Amino acid sequence: MSTASTGKSLAFTAGDGYHDDPPLVAGNLSFHEVTDLVALHTEKKTPMAWYGAFSIANIGLMILLLSVAYLFWNGVGVWGLNNPVGWGYAIVNFVFWVGIGHAGTLISAILYLFRQKWRTAINRSAEAMTIFAVICALLFPTIHVGRVWAIYWSLPIPNQMEMWPQFKSPLLWDVFAVSVYFTVSLVFWYVGLVPDLATLRDRTPLTKKLRQKVLGFFALGWNGANRHWRNYEKAYLLLAALATPLVLSVHSVVSFDFAVSIIPGWHTTIFPPYFVAGAIFSGFGMVMTLMVIARKVYHMENIITINHLEKMNIIILLTGTMVGFAYITEFFIAWYSGSPYEQYAFINRATGPYAWAYWTMMSCNLLFPQFFWFKKLRRNVAFMFVVSIFVNIGMWFERFVIVVTSLHRDYLPSAWDYYTPTAIDVLTLIGSFGLFFTLFLIFLRFLPMVALAEVKMVMPQSDPHFYEGHGDGHGAAHDLSAGKPESDRGKS
Amino acid sequence: MIELPVIDAASNEEPSRPRFWRSLHHRNDDPEFRKVAAHEFLPGASEGPGGASRRQFLQLMGASMALAGLTACRRPVQHIMPFAHKPEEMIPGVPMQYATSMPFRGALRGLLVESTDGRPTKIEGNPEHPESRGTTSVFEQASILNLYDPDRSQHVLRDGDEADWQRFVDFCRSFVADAGTKRVAVLMEATSSMTVAGLRRAMASTFGALRWATYDADPAAQGMRQAFGRAVRPRYDFARARTIVSLDADFLGPADRDMIHNTRSFSEGRRLENGAMSRLYVVESGFSITGGMADNRLRLRSSEIPAFAAAIAARLGVNVGEAGAAFADHPYVVEIVNDLRQSANTGVLLAGETQPPEVHALCAAVNSRLGSVGRTMTLFDTGASDDLSLNNLVGEMRGGNVDALLIIGCNPVYDAPADLDFAGALSNVAETIHLGPHVDETAAACRWHLPRAHYLEAWGDGRAYDGTMAVIQPLIAPLYDDVHSEIEVLNTLATGLDTPGYDLVRDHWRSVLRGDFEKAWRRVLHDGFLPESAYAAVRIPARAPAAYAAPAIGADDLEVVFRLDPKVLDGSFANNAWMQELPDPTTKITWDNVAMMSPATAERLGVTVRLENGKHFVDRIRVSLGGNSVELPVWIQPGYADNSIGVTLGYGRAIVSQRPERHTNFFDLDDHTDIYGHGAVATGVGVNVASLRTTAAFHVAAGAQVSKSDGDYMIATTQDHGALPEEMEQVRKRHVFRMATVEEYRANPAFVREGDPEPIREPWEEYPTLWEKNHPTKQDAYKDNPYYKNQWAMVIDLHTCTGCNACVIACQAENNIQVVGKEEVANGREMQWIRLDRYFTSETDSVEEPQMVLQPVPCMHCENAPCESVCPVAATVHSPDGTNQMIYNRCIGTRYCANNCPYKVRRFNFYNWTKTLPVQVQMTQNPNVTVRSRGVMEKCSYCIQRVREVNKRAKLEDRPIRDGEVLTACQQACPAQAITFGDLNDPNSKVVQVRASERRYEMLAELNVKPRTSYLGRVTNPNPRLSAEA
Repeated sequence: MSTASTGKSLAFTAGDGYHDDPPLVAGNLSFHEVTDLVALHTEKKTPMAWYGAFSIANIGLMILLLSVAYLFWNGVGVWGLNNPVGWGYAIVNFVFWVGIGHAGTLISAILYLFRQKWRTAINRSAEAMTIFAVICALLFPTIHVGRVWAIYWSLPIPNQMEMWPQFKSPLLWDVFAVSVYFTVSLVFWYVGLVPDLATLRDRTPLTKKLRQKVLGFFALGWNGANRHWRNYEKAYLLLAALATPLVLSVHSVVSFDFAVSIIPGWHTTIFPPYFVAGAIFSGFGMVMTLMVIARKVYHMENIITINHLEKMNIIILLTGTMVGFAYITEFFIAWYSGSPYEQYAFINRATGPYAWAYWTMMSCNLLFPQFFWFKKLRRNVAFMFVVSIFVNIGMWFERFVIVVTSLHRDYLPSAWDYYTPTAIDVLTLIGSFGLFFTLFLIFLRFLPMVALAEVKMVMPQSDPHFYEGHGDGHGAAHDLSAGKPESDRGKS
Repeated sequence: MIELPVIDAASNEEPSRPRFWRSLHHRNDDPEFRKVAAHEFLPGASEGPGGASRRQFLQLMGASMALAGLTACRRPVQHIMPFAHKPEEMIPGVPMQYATSMPFRGALRGLLVESTDGRPTKIEGNPEHPESRGTTSVFEQASILNLYDPDRSQHVLRDGDEADWQRFVDFCRSFVADAGTKRVAVLMEATSSMTVAGLRRAMASTFGALRWATYDADPAAQGMRQAFGRAVRPRYDFARARTIVSLDADFLGPADRDMIHNTRSFSEGRRLENGAMSRLYVVESGFSITGGMADNRLRLRSSEIPAFAAAIAARLGVNVGEAGAAFADHPYVVEIVNDLRQSANTGVLLAGETQPPEVHALCAAVNSRLGSVGRTMTLFDTGASDDLSLNNLVGEMRGGNVDALLIIGCNPVYDAPADLDFAGALSNVAETIHLGPHVDETAAACRWHLPRAHYLEAWGDGRAYDGTMAVIQPLIAPLYDDVHSEIEVLNTLATGLDTPGYDLVRDHWRSVLRGDFEKAWRRVLHDGFLPESAYAAVRIPARAPAAYAAPAIGADDLEVVFRLDPKVLDGSFANNAWMQELPDPTTKITWDNVAMMSPATAERLGVTVRLENGKHFVDRIRVSLGGNSVELPVWIQPGYADNSIGVTLGYGRAIVSQRPERHTNFFDLDDHTDIYGHGAVATGVGVNVASLRTTAAFHVAAGAQVSKSDGDYMIATTQDHGALPEEMEQVRKRHVFRMATVEEYRANPAFVREGDPEPIREPWEEYPTLWEKNHPTKQDAYKDNPYYKNQWAMVIDLHTCTGCNACVIACQAENNIQVVGKEEVANGREMQWIRLDRYFTSETDSVEEPQMVLQPVPCMHCENAPCESVCPVAATVHSPDGTNQMIYNRCIGTRYCANNCPYKVRRFNFYNWTKTLPVQVQMTQNPNVTVRSRGVMEKCSYCIQRVREVNKRAKLEDRPIRDGEVLTACQQACPAQAITFGDLNDPNSKVVQVRASERRYEMLAELNVKPRTSYLGRVTNPNPRLSAEA
């Protein structure tokens, strides 16, 4: 860092420090104000709007439970599956939710390692979203099997049959990859929560004994000691290092479900990077959707600033373009391979009976993010919200296109058929959103949705030299709002 | 319980005087008092209030312990006998085989039936029978399910009310009391039974008048009578024939009376190794599987075929006047005549059942002129007597000349010509008796209904197509008490006596068999037939037809052609769920009949078939003929003759079922998925088109009025694709079905390999391995397997396979494959393990004039099976003897294996198909094959249960397995013997020899999955002059 000696600029330059970045927390909030802003929502009386949202989410959850009960009672025939198309909505939803589950850990682990400090505003809720999305994802491979009561045979549990799972199967790799990812994400999230839980605990009035006890239990006796902070930082760093390869591995492994098979349209070496890029893309899309709403509802515009959103949009633009590039590469390779099966699989995607799904995917994933080349659109909250919805839709369709269009017409034309989802398919998908939002609303209600400790670390005020200039910190804030050139602010 | 009569008797004695009484109730012997007094204590004092007493409890427990073992058996409880005296040769759990025969359209088919613990489970051809030679058609295979049909009639009905057999016997006794005055008529299906013939003679002498009509309008028989002047039955030796011309004759189709012989001899005549192969011309209005085998096929309306036949005959010098003028110089006529002339006595011309007797007679005359009668065309002298025609019988009925009518094995109310108004005529007869397996349309219109015995339940006899005599030997006691055979019913009606069929058949056979009767009788039962008992072959010249005239039909007139259905025949297999779900060999439609037509005709009528969301939605048409009309769905079939509408009989049945309709809770789909849950299986399936037929236009009706009617109709097919030009292109690109003309084959015998990739050389194969001389990856898997002797493989010869569907049902019967119903077939969830892929092909991708090919696709048992590596729980693995096995117990149903199967041969149990199976249908199940539950994958196993059975036997006898000892169900049934199965490690096995054929190819070989099932490419022999023109 060029300004290593000038600590102040470090404090309010979040990126590379070479050019003038706006502060990560706007509004010149004090530490206490930040704490108040976030903690308040877990402490105040539950607003009616929350109840409204929660009951809608609960209806969704009920739909999920009922449709799964119906499925278990009758068999997977209640879905629209048929002989060539053995996987339908369930696997599409699985990959969709796993993909969404990528953003959280990417934001908290990879961006952490890359010192992307703007991540602090969104990492807590993104991680929560990850965990809930992975819960939704884990649901689908579990319920999609024909004999759900024997699903545990896919786990390496010693048993009297002396039968182990078949380790060559990518589905088994999935079991390991997703469950490891879920465990590490959960631990990572919880470790990050500990200082904030302690903050909440300390704010709890003495009259609320139960709340104190529960928070006290989960805060693990945190008292902000130097030693605690040192251990915490180390643990966090280690977990980030552990989670980082998982971000890349889990969706690579999910992509192996397809890439390892021999079905044209699945059997593609491009799948691991393409899936990871797609996952990050969809994850950011979902974070964007949630954050745009949350910052508005919870008045967090100062913590989740437009600059944060813009950075996320840049990532959406980048990964969307990568995904689009992968789509086109697939076409090129299909032509270049000279294999009639491969060629037909892709021609069929673009022109066959599922062309509508293909072009939905193409426009949502490749076309819409391109608008983010324009800074104005990148910083337009309403516009980015619409695009993020399109990204979510587009990425769901990407998985639909991969799973269904490849299967419905493969090698022997006599076996070709068509897949039509049933009402139960659709209800289960809707229900999984119900589950997701139920969990997310509980999170919003009971846990600090922003990582307080981490946000405070990147506030200008946390810079040890912050108060040196004018002695009150106002100078720094004033400098910023005045937008003075770096040369002016840098001299101290 | 042991009764003690002495004590009982003593206690029942009247008490001696003086008499004491406890109360007035006692003295008056009040029943209420007796009840109280029977107990020592008041109710509740010695017994628990609601339960059993200690004594009763012990009794019940003892009894239930004793019966607990019995309930686990499938045998009927009342007939359980301890095997202290075991029936001779019977070992529980070891199936036995008995020879018997199945009557099929007036001829017997020789069978060997497998019986497991007293219940027949599987039907095979009798390998020693000169007709069957071990193979069967689809109908024999399916007939086992007719036995266990849960909708079979179980009781005698009198005027619709339940009665019993004794009441019918009583009726007959009083009826025959003044037999001399009674005018009796019998309307019976075609039968070859000698015992029935004997009973007929007996009845003729008993009753005042006996009128006997056979319900079988066989134009071939009438045509032969016209041509040869006597009742002869033709048989064509296609193995010898060099030029075969079929005029609307689907002689390879399952409904043909001589289908098994035809298929076998046709495939022999096609053998490439035997030098010149035959050439088959097919001129037809529909698209039959015979048309699929044609080397040159001409689509022509059935109404024009008489003229076409006349044109051929005229060129060959038969005098037919001007009847053939329209086709005199048709290129097909010219070429057919050229080929027939060259083939001389190895050329045959044959007409189909849709053609009038005159065309059959004309064909006979042509064959006679070619010299093939007696050589390529054998005539069996059946000596059949002249029966009353159906018209005359109905006339007699109307005239009040019939006192009693017995209808056996036919359903005239359902399918008699509409102009006869059979139901109306029936009401003129005082006593009408119906003998049939179901309470069907005719049963409802008759005063008596008698449930008919299945041929596996009752004694009978008859003659095969060539006349070989046989006894029909039952394998099981009738499932229902009232069930009787036609022999028993005829005898009861004639004599008033209830004589068992066994005695009647034996009595008759005493006159047939020479020498020691018991010994000869046992011999016939054991062999399944009486050798050397065929009809005499006669060699007589055919008369040229006098005044042959071809019907006139306008160029734009629509004709309707009525054919027997290749699955449900005339409706007698309509209540057979296997047959309903079997895809039609050419259209692949299940659970329906349709009006088939060419694309051009469909355009003319303005009707379409739309493939929406994987389901076919079709328009419906109203077909009107002679004042009658029916509405039925359309189907566009490439290769149909323009302006010809093909319909099949046997649908739209009204069978009364005793079973209650299933009703489950709204969240339970059991009644939705249960094909047996809504009355009889045949109910509501398809449309009855028989009401369009008239006596004059029985097979072909010209001048039909057809209009489009409202509404969509959903058709369930097992194959949605293959007819569009772009799909034909994909099929060709993928080298799925490989064929060549015989010239191409002679020039390049290995033509099938043309599209194949170079064998894949793994990188490590280029370098010698240091630690192993013989690296396994260099070899096929079967060679590096020292610890297991056999390596199984299958070869399917596409050259001889006709696509008759016999293998599909044989597999279904052997492997307990469940039926899923129309909705689920439409959803793409059919379960048949072997499917017949139908592709259309033509040089020009013409949708109007394509060739059709059929390809059986079972599991390929890949050595590098893609399904195995993706299963997370190792539920599908390779056996040491080289088959890909499915372990149902282990399967959790991820369906990944099915996704990764490039041949898509795996079938998934989307629901529990067996939960609602009626108990009768459960008895069909093969005990050696697991009945699969919901949520597991299944597929062809190469009949592993048969392999293991032979493994065991060979091991016990300490010998290697002999070649041909293991037959898969499909292989065993195949009338063309197109399937070869055997051991690759046996260098002399047939499969090794067949695999050496140059025509052998592996489907999708480029995937390097190394399939064990491979194909022999097809070679056609088209007339080059006609092909050049097309």
